[in-house]
Amino acid sequence: MKKKTLYELFIKAMRITIAQLLLAICFTSMGYAHDAKAQGDLNQKIYLQVKDETFSKVLKQIEKQTQIRFVFSSKLIQSTQKVNASFSGEPLSKVLDNLLQPRQLDYEVMEKMIILKKVGNQKTFSTDVLPATIIKKVEPIIPAFAVTGQVTDIKNEPLVGASIVLEGTTKGTLSDENGRYKLELEDDEKKGNLVFSFVGYDKVVAAIDGRYVINIALKEAGILNEVVVIGYGSQKKVNLVGSVGTVNVDEKMVGRALPNISSGLSGFVPGLSAVQASGMAGRNGAALLIRGLGTSNNSSPLIVVDGMPDIDINRINVNDIETVSVLKDATSSSVYGSRAANGVILITTKSGKGMKKTSLNFSSNMALELPTKAFDFLANYPLALTLEQQRAATSTLANNQRYKNGTIDEWMALGMIDPLRYPNTDWWDIIMRNGALQNYNLSASGGGDKSNFFVSVGTKKEQGLQINNDYEQYNARFNFDYKLGTNMNTGVKFNGNWSNFVYSLEEGYTDPAPTNTAGFDMQYAVAGITPYDPVSGNFGGVMAYGEDPQAYNPYTVYVNNLNRQQRKEAYTTMYLDWSPIKGLKGTVEYGLNYYDQFGWNANTPNQAFNFQTNSFGSRVYVGPNAGVSNNTFSGYKTLLNGRLNYNTNIGKNHEISALVVYSEEYWYDRFQGSSRNDRLYPTLHEIDAALTDIQTTGGNSSTEGLRSYIGRVNYNAFGKYLLEANFRVDGSSRFVEGQRYGFFPSAALGWRFTEEELFKPVLDKFLSNGKFRISYGTLGNNSGVGRYEQQSTLASNNYIIGGSVVKGFVNNKLINQFLSWEETSVLNIGLELGFFKNRLTAEIDYYDRLTTGMNRPSDLSILLTGAYDAPRTNIGNMRNRGIEGTFTWRDKIGAVNYGTTLNVSYNATRLEKWNQFLTRGTIFLNMPYNFVYSYEDIGIAQTWADVYKATPQGAQPGDILRKDLNGDGRIDANDQKAYPNLQRDRPTTFVGLNTFVSWKGIDLSFLWQGSTGRKSFWINAFNNVNFSTSRYAVTQAHVDNPWNLENRDGLWPRLGGSGNNTATTSFWLDDMTYLRLKNIQLGYSIPPRLFRKLGVSTLRIAGSAENLLTLTSFRGLDPEKEGNNNNLYPINKSYSLSIQVGF
Amino acid sequence: MCVTLQISCRKNLLDQDPTTELPANVFWKTEADAVTGLMGAYAATRPCFDRDYYFDGQGEYVRARGTSTTSGNLRLGDAYNNGNYDPTGYASSFDKMYRYLYGAVNRANYVIFNVNKMQAEGTTASAATLETILGEARLLRGMAYFKLISMWGDVPYFTNVVYENTTVAELARLPIGQVKDSIMADFTYAFDKLPTKASALGRATKPAALAFRGKLQLYWASWNKNGWPELKGFTPSATVATTAFTAAAADFKSVINNYGLTLYLNGDAGQIDTLGGADILPNYYNLFTPKANGNSEMIMVFTHGGTGTSQGEELMRDFSGRSHEGSQCWVSPRYEIANKYQSTVTGDFVTPLIPMNPTTNSAARTTLNSAVNPKSYDNRDYRMKSTIEWDYEKSIGMASLASTGLVPFIYQTWAIAVTINGVKYTTYNTDGCNSGYVFRKFVRNYAGQGRSDGDFAWPVMRLADVYLMYAEATNEVSGPQADAIDLVNKIRKRGNLPALAATKTANKIVFFDAIEQERIVELIGEGQRSFDIRRWRTIEKIWGGPGTAGVWRIDTYGANQQRYYQNTSDRTYQQNYIFRIPPTERDKNPNLTQNTPWE
Repeated sequence: MKKKTLYELFIKAMRITIAQLLLAICFTSMGYAHDAKAQGDLNQKIYLQVKDETFSKVLKQIEKQTQIRFVFSSKLIQSTQKVNASFSGEPLSKVLDNLLQPRQLDYEVMEKMIILKKVGNQKTFSTDVLPATIIKKVEPIIPAFAVTGQVTDIKNEPLVGASIVLEGTTKGTLSDENGRYKLELEDDEKKGNLVFSFVGYDKVVAAIDGRYVINIALKEAGILNEVVVIGYGSQKKVNLVGSVGTVNVDEKMVGRALPNISSGLSGFVPGLSAVQASGMAGRNGAALLIRGLGTSNNSSPLIVVDGMPDIDINRINVNDIETVSVLKDATSSSVYGSRAANGVILITTKSGKGMKKTSLNFSSNMALELPTKAFDFLANYPLALTLEQQRAATSTLANNQRYKNGTIDEWMALGMIDPLRYPNTDWWDIIMRNGALQNYNLSASGGGDKSNFFVSVGTKKEQGLQINNDYEQYNARFNFDYKLGTNMNTGVKFNGNWSNFVYSLEEGYTDPAPTNTAGFDMQYAVAGITPYDPVSGNFGGVMAYGEDPQAYNPYTVYVNNLNRQQRKEAYTTMYLDWSPIKGLKGTVEYGLNYYDQFGWNANTPNQAFNFQTNSFGSRVYVGPNAGVSNNTFSGYKTLLNGRLNYNTNIGKNHEISALVVYSEEYWYDRFQGSSRNDRLYPTLHEIDAALTDIQTTGGNSSTEGLRSYIGRVNYNAFGKYLLEANFRVDGSSRFVEGQRYGFFPSAALGWRFTEEELFKPVLDKFLSNGKFRISYGTLGNNSGVGRYEQQSTLASNNYIIGGSVVKGFVNNKLINQFLSWEETSVLNIGLELGFFKNRLTAEIDYYDRLTTGMNRPSDLSILLTGAYDAPRTNIGNMRNRGIEGTFTWRDKIGAVNYGTTLNVSYNATRLEKWNQFLTRGTIFLNMPYNFVYSYEDIGIAQTWADVYKATPQGAQPGDILRKDLNGDGRIDANDQKAYPNLQRDRPTTFVGLNTFVSWKGIDLSFLWQGSTGRKSFWINAFNNVNFSTSRYAVTQAHVDNPWNLENRDGLWPRLGGSGNNTATTSFWLDDMTYLRLKNIQLGYSIPPRLFRKLGVSTLRIAGSAENLLTLTSFRGLDPEKEGNNNNLYPINKSYSLSIQVGF
Repeated sequence: MCVTLQISCRKNLLDQDPTTELPANVFWKTEADAVTGLMGAYAATRPCFDRDYYFDGQGEYVRARGTSTTSGNLRLGDAYNNGNYDPTGYASSFDKMYRYLYGAVNRANYVIFNVNKMQAEGTTASAATLETILGEARLLRGMAYFKLISMWGDVPYFTNVVYENTTVAELARLPIGQVKDSIMADFTYAFDKLPTKASALGRATKPAALAFRGKLQLYWASWNKNGWPELKGFTPSATVATTAFTAAAADFKSVINNYGLTLYLNGDAGQIDTLGGADILPNYYNLFTPKANGNSEMIMVFTHGGTGTSQGEELMRDFSGRSHEGSQCWVSPRYEIANKYQSTVTGDFVTPLIPMNPTTNSAARTTLNSAVNPKSYDNRDYRMKSTIEWDYEKSIGMASLASTGLVPFIYQTWAIAVTINGVKYTTYNTDGCNSGYVFRKFVRNYAGQGRSDGDFAWPVMRLADVYLMYAEATNEVSGPQADAIDLVNKIRKRGNLPALAATKTANKIVFFDAIEQERIVELIGEGQRSFDIRRWRTIEKIWGGPGTAGVWRIDTYGANQQRYYQNTSDRTYQQNYIFRIPPTERDKNPNLTQNTPWE
C-alpha cells in the first residue's frame, strides 16, 4: 500500500456515515466505566472439586460461581499443567492464593474482575484499558488472542472506519486511518466469525479459524443487495417483480431547501410527476400523479406512511424519512388494492435498527427565497391612465372618457414631488418580500439486541414571498421497538406535528372561489393608490378624478384581512409480532391518526383614505362591525390490521413466502364553525369578544368504514425464477349492500436470465445483471363517491313563512343501486439490466393501464338535473399507456466518485369510453382528457386589406384574425382545432437528470428536470388587452406589446379591440415545455478529527439552490405551475445553506 | 385479534349513517311532514321567480349589465345565471332557467305524489290540510309550467315522480295548448282548495290561484290574437283569443272584487319630499321595501329572510351601488325611462328632457328641461322619485350594517366630496350605471341588513298588475270599459297623477297605449316588460324592423351608450320571440324538437 497523506485519509473518511463514526467513538471509549474498589469480592465462598483439569477450566468454574471474570494472558498459563483441588466454602482470596502461588502468579482485583500477572511484574496496562491507579501495580494483560489486519476496497484503497464485529456479540472495533484494525479476543472466541462491514459495501463474514491476520477487501455494494420497501414488508430489489421506484432521503435531500417531501420528489422517479402550483408558504406542496391521469375522479396516489394510509405527505418531517417507495404497477400496489389504482407512495421513517450505539444528529437549513419570475405591474400611474385613454378611445369620444388629460398631467408633475398624494406605487414591491425557509432538526437514534429507537424534533419556518404569508411547523417523532422475548417483538411509532399558518387569500394573491367576487382584484391595483401612510396610520384609496373608487389596495387586504390556521396532528401505531415457529410471524398492528384544525379570522377595520382631500373615501375596506369567525375541523382515523407471514425454503433452491392480512379502517370527521359580527374591540379575536346580535353557526360530521382481506405469495426458484401473486378484497361503506366488495387480484413473473448457466458465458462479459418481469392485475378506486351519496336521504331546503325560517325537505337523490368500485387494470412489462459490473444500470418499463367503470355522474335529462344530483354510475374508460426508463452510471476515477441517473417517462392518456353525450369541448373519445382545443390564428391584421381578405369576423386592423377551419364562411366554435397529443393540464413527457460528483470531502450534485407535451393559453386577468375602462392595473407589457400604428410589430393585438382578441386562439397558446435546474448542491464534509474533541463525528456544510435556471418559451409566470392561470403566486427560487452535524 | 383490540373491531363497519340528512323512508308520515315537504317545494320554486327583474333588461327601459347570481347555487340565482339580459340575442341563454323550472316541477310532483299517497293510505292528518298542501303544490307546479310555455312554447310535460332517467329521457314536447290545459287544471284545483286568506305570509291563497289562472288565459289569448309564428304547430285563433280574454277578465274581476284586496294604503300617493330630499318618500316607494311585506296588494309572494337566515334576497346588491353595503348596481334604469313619467299637473307626458354634458357645458345644470338640471324633474309622477334617482337625488348610504348618511347621486362622479347647500356629502359610488340614473325602487332606506340579506317578499302577482291585466283583457274584448278605466286611474292616483284624459280612453287603441304606459311605469323592475313585449309582438315597434339602423340608448349627458337592432336580421327577431330548447338535451333526446328560429 502506498503511503497516503493524512489529509487524503481524512477525505476518505468523509465517506463514513455518521453512524459508523459514532460506533468508532464508542468502541475506543469502552472500559472507562470501570471502578477499582471491589475487595468484598474476595470474601465470596468457593465450592470446588477438580481433578486433572486444565487451569483455565478451573478459572472458568470459579467465574461461574462468583460472577467475577479473570483477565490474563494465555502466555501466563501453560495449558498442559493440570490442577487438582478441593475447596468447600473457603473465601476466594484463599482459593486464589492456593491456586496462583505455585504458578508464580499474582493478582489484582477490580470490580468484578481479577487480573492475573506474574509476580513482581511492574509493566503497565494500556491507558485505554485500565485506570491509572492500578496501572502501576499491574502487569499488562497480553490479550489472549488478537486479530489484526487491514480493510480495503477491491482496488486496495484502505477503508477508514469500517466496522469489524465478532459475530453474535457486541465486541468489535473500527479500522483506523490506514484501514488497519486490531481486535482482541478471548481464547474461546477463536472459532468465531468476524463480520466486516462498511456502508455502501457488501458485508463480508470471515471465519477467524485461529488466524492472527485477516485482510479483507470489501466489494462495493451493487444493486444485488439493495432492499426495497414494499407494501407490508421489504424485498431485495433483484427479486422484485413489480415496478417500484425508490428515493432515499439522504444528506443531499436533507441539504435542499425543501418545504416538504412532495416537492422534493420531482425528477427522481420516472412516471411520478410532482408539480407545484404555487410557492405560497404553507400551500407549496406538489401535486403527485403516477403514470398520468388515471381517472377523472381523484387520481392522486395513496400515501402510506409506516403502514398507515391517508397521511398528509406535506406534513412529514423530511429529516425523519428514510426512504420513499413509489409503487407503480398492479403487483406492487395491489396489497393496497382499494385505493391503489393511482399508485402508492410508501414512506418509511427512520428507526435505530442495527445501530448498536446511540447517535445524535443536528441539521439546519436556511434558505433565501426569490420568485422564479414575477409580475411587473406598472408603477407609473399617469402612463397607466394614458393607456386607459387609448383603450377607451376605441369606442368613446374624448369628452365622454373617464380620465381627463388634466388629471394625467397633474399626476405626472406632482408625482415627482408628492408621493403621498400623487403616488406611483410599485405594488409588487410593496406586497412582496424575500422569502425565507428555515429548517432545524435534532434527532437521536440507537439500538441494541433488545431495542432500538429513533427520536426527532424538527421545526420549519417559512416566510412566504407575499407579506404576511407565514407557515411554521413543529414535528416530533418517536419510533421504538422492543424485543419482548426470543420470538416476540413490540414497537410503537408516534408522530406529532403542529402548524401555524397565516395567509390572506386562498391562493395568496388571488382566490378562485366563485363565492369570493373579489378573488382576482389584483388586476385593479392601480398605481395611483398610496398603500399606507405610517404618519396618519391610514390606508390609501383612489384619489384621481374619474378613477373608480373600487380600485384595489392589496396592501390593506394582505395586512388587515388575514386567515389563520392552526393544525395539530398525531399519528400513532403500535404493533406486536410473534414467531411461534421458524418462518412464521404473526403481527397485530393498531394505528390511530388524529387531527384538529382551528381556523379563525378577525379582520381589522379600516377605510380608504384620500390624502389629497384628507378625508375618507366611500370605500370601507373592513367595516367597523368587523366580526370574528372560527372553524374547527377534527377527526380521527383508526387502522387495525392483523397479518401472518410465512417464509420457508424447500430444499436449497426454492423459497416461498406468503402473507395474509386482515384490515379495518374507520374514519370520523367533524366540522364546527361559528361567526359573530361586531367585535368589541379590534384587537380582540375570539367569538366571545363580539356582540351576539348577528351570528351564524354550522356543524356536521361523517364517518366511513373499509374492511379488507389481503393475500400475497412469493416464490423464488433457483434465484432466477420469480413469481408473485396478490389479491385484495375491499368492502367500503360508501356503496350499497351488494356492491360493497371489490376483488383486486394481480400476478407477476420475473426471470433473472443472467443467472442462467446457459447464457453466462455470453452475457458475463458485459451484462452483470438482467431481469425480465411482467405483471398484470387490477386495482380499485372509490374516491369519486361521497360518504353518504348512495343512501337515499332527504336534504334540508328551508323556507320563510310568516317572517321566520321553517323546515323544508327535498329529495335530491336518485340512487344507482349498481354503483361500485372503479377498476383499473395494469399491465407492466419491465426489463432491468446491469452492465459492466453494474456500473451502468438500466430499468425500462412499459405499462398499459386501463381504468374501467370510471365513476361519473350519469347523464341525466335536464328535466331532472334541476332537482336531482345525477346519480353516479360506472361509465367511462380511460387508458394510460406509457414507457419509463431509468439509466444510471456510477463509477470512480481515482478519488473521484461520480454518477448520473437519467429518467425519462412518456405517458399518453386516452379517454376510451364515455357513454354520455360529449359536446364540443376539450373532452372527447380517443383523446387525452382535457386536450388542447383552439382557434387557429393568422396573426394580427395590419391593414383593412388583411381584414377583408380574411373570413368576416368583426375584426379591425390590430385585431387577431382567426382561420375559418371548416370553410363555412364564418368563424364560430366549429372552427377550433383539436390537438390529439397535447394536454392542457399536464405534460406527457418528463425528464429528470441527477448527477453527482464527489472528490474527497467535496460533493457536487445537479438535478435537472423538464417536461413537454403540455400547451396552455396564456390568458389571464393580468394580461387582458380588453381591460376594464377604469381601475385596471396595467403592466409594462401593456405598454410595450399592444399593436398600434406606431408598433405594428406589437406582440399583442390592439388595446380595446375585438372581444375575440381574448378568445382561446393559438395566438395565446404557449408551449409549456421547460427544462429546469431544479437543484444544484455543493457540499463539503469537514474531516471529523478537527472536531473530535467536541464530540463531533460528522460535519457537512452544503450550499444549495433550487430552481436556479429555467429554460422555456412560456410567457407566463412559470411553466411548471398547475391550475388557475390567474394564480399570481410565483414558484420559489431559493439559495440555502445547510449544516449537518453528527455526534 | 378482535378481542385484543375491541375498540376498533366494528361490527357495522360498512353501515355508516348520515348525520345531517334524513333517511327518506322515515318521512311522509305526519301532517307536519307534508308541510315540511311543501316548504321544500316552495324553496325550490322561489329561485325560479325571485330575480325576474333581470328580465327587464330585455326591454327598453332597464339595463341589466350583469347579475349578482352565484353559479351552481340555486338559491343565489343559478336559474338566472349566465342569462343574457340585453334587448336582443338573449333567448339562447336560458338553459339553466329551463332546468330549474323543471326542478320546481319535480319538487311539486314529489309533494303531490306523497300527499296523495298519505291520503290513500289513510293518515291522521286532516284531509283539509292535505288538500291545501296539494293546492299549493299544484299552484307552484302550474306557475313553473306557465313560465316554461311562455318562454319555450311547447314543452315536455310530466306530473309523476321520476325514479329513473329513462322515464323522461325521451319525452317529446307537448303542444302548448295541452300544457296550458293541464296548468289550468292545476290552477283550478288550487283555486278550489286554497284558503281565501293565507295562514301566514308566504302561503298561497285562493285569489293567487285565480289571478294566475287569469294571467294564463290572458297570455293564451295574446298568443292567439297576435300569433306565435316561431312556435311550430301553433295555429292562432281569434275566436280562441276572445274566449280566453273573456275568461281572463272574469277571473281578474273576481280577484279584484271578491276578496277584499286593496292597493297598498288604498292606493294613496302619500307624501313626497322636495327635489333632492329623501326623508319623505311616496307610498309607491315603500311598497317595494320589506316594510310593506304582507300587505294585501301582494297577492302572491316568495318570501325571504333577513340576516342569519341564509334566505335573503339580493335586491339591494343588484339595484344599488357601492355606497349601499358595497352593492354592485347590476341593474339600472335606462335614460329613456325618464320621459315616461308624466306630469302631475297635466297628467300627460312632459317636454322631453334634453341631454347635456355638465363637464363641457357650464349651463347644463340650469338649462330648462336639461336632463342634468334637477328642476326638470319637478312635478312628476310620484312613482318617478320612488323608482329612480337622478342627479342630486339622495338615498341613505350604508356600510357595515350602519347608515353612513345621505349620499347624493351625481352621474359620472364616484364617491367624491361635494357640498350641497352648505352640507358636505360623499357622492353615490357606482361604476355600474351608464344612463345617468340609478334605481331607488327596491333599495332599502334604512340600514341593518347586508346586500345579500334582504327580507323583501318578492311579488309574483300584484293587485296593480291584476288591475292592468283586467283592463287589457276587457279592452281586447269590448274596448275601454268604465270599470277598467277606473282601475287604471286608481293606479295613476298612486303616482299622484290625474285621471286619464278622455282622449286616452277614446278607443281600444289609445286605451291600450294608456294601459301599456301604466304597465311600463308601474311594473318597472318586476320582470313583466319583456314578457309583455313578446306576447304583444312589439319588438319591431320599439326597435325598428329588420335591416334598420336600430336605436341608441343614451345617457343624460347625451353620449351614445349602446345601439340595439342595428341592421338586424329577420331571424334574430324571430329568435327574440321564442327561447331556444336546450341543445344539449336535444343531443340526448331524439324526440325533442327545436323551435323554428333555433333549428
